[in-house]
Amino acid sequence: MADAEAMEVEQAEQPVAKGKGRGRGAKGDKDGEGKGKSGKRFEIKKWSAVAMWSWAICTDTCAICRNNLYEPSIEYQANPTGDTDHPGLSIAWGVCGHVFHLDCIQRWLKTRSACPLCNKEWEFAKIEKILPTGTMGE
Amino acid sequence: MASKSRLLKEARECAKAPADLGISLQPDERNIHTWRGHIRGPSGTPFEGGTFELTLSVPQNYPLFPPSVRFKTKIFHPNVHFKTGEICLDILKGAWTPAWTLLAVCQAISALMADPAPDSPLNCDAGNLLRGGDLRGYASMARCYTLDLASAPARQLS
Ligand SMILES: [Zn+2]
Ligand SMILES: [Zn+2]
Repeated sequence: MADAEAMEVEQAEQPVAKGKGRGRGAKGDKDGEGKGKSGKRFEIKKWSAVAMWSWAICTDTCAICRNNLYEPSIEYQANPTGDTDHPGLSIAWGVCGHVFHLDCIQRWLKTRSACPLCNKEWEFAKIEKILPTGTMGE
Repeated sequence: MASKSRLLKEARECAKAPADLGISLQPDERNIHTWRGHIRGPSGTPFEGGTFELTLSVPQNYPLFPPSVRFKTKIFHPNVHFKTGEICLDILKGAWTPAWTLLAVCQAISALMADPAPDSPLNCDAGNLLRGGDLRGYASMARCYTLDLASAPARQLS
């Protein structure tokens, strides 16, 4: 059972694993070389897999605030300013391809400058406004 | 504050979580920053048949920072402190990202129960048994505590 699970995780995990240094995964581990360390890395990958999975259910959702990406961020909704340049009304792509509300990712980047989903160093690829001016309803 | 609206959202999602997940999770009625979870001991593990209660305290700046989670039910597991219920799990520390939800955290803890990491033990007795290859010893200890301390669902679920 442990083995089947290991394979599954290894697969689900490919994108996240990269950030942690490629090296061997669960597969290379079987013969016992580098047991201690890669064993641990395998555990880490496993938890990440759960997050990836729970997020994958709704790819139109900002993984930080869990609002739809076609809607303003949760922060903006809690405190709508009517300012169309508010970062809660824009979405930002990373070079890794992941998308978040601009204010959501900006706040997270103060904590750690890695993508919340794939753990790669975050770099902005592009930023776009969500809604044409006026449709905001105050 | 945004953490509150996200938590309300998560509470709604948790209420819809499928029963076969083996996890129930809900916020305190009066305080959305305090949650209580129950994990059914994963089958095929020494924890099978037990119900394990967790308390989650969610910081004001969630989800930028992780919740702090403890086992309230005593559990014999290398990565859980036997007395305090503190859990050693990377995603609750440096590996946290806001893509996690409280429910996914409970799922990760359930996975940790099934797959202990004896290299970073908080419970040295359990860690030593596993590291020494005494799987049977570990399983019987863990089983014993499960029967003793985690197998009264009426009391646990109150
Ligand atoms: Zn967002
Ligand atoms: Zn990414």
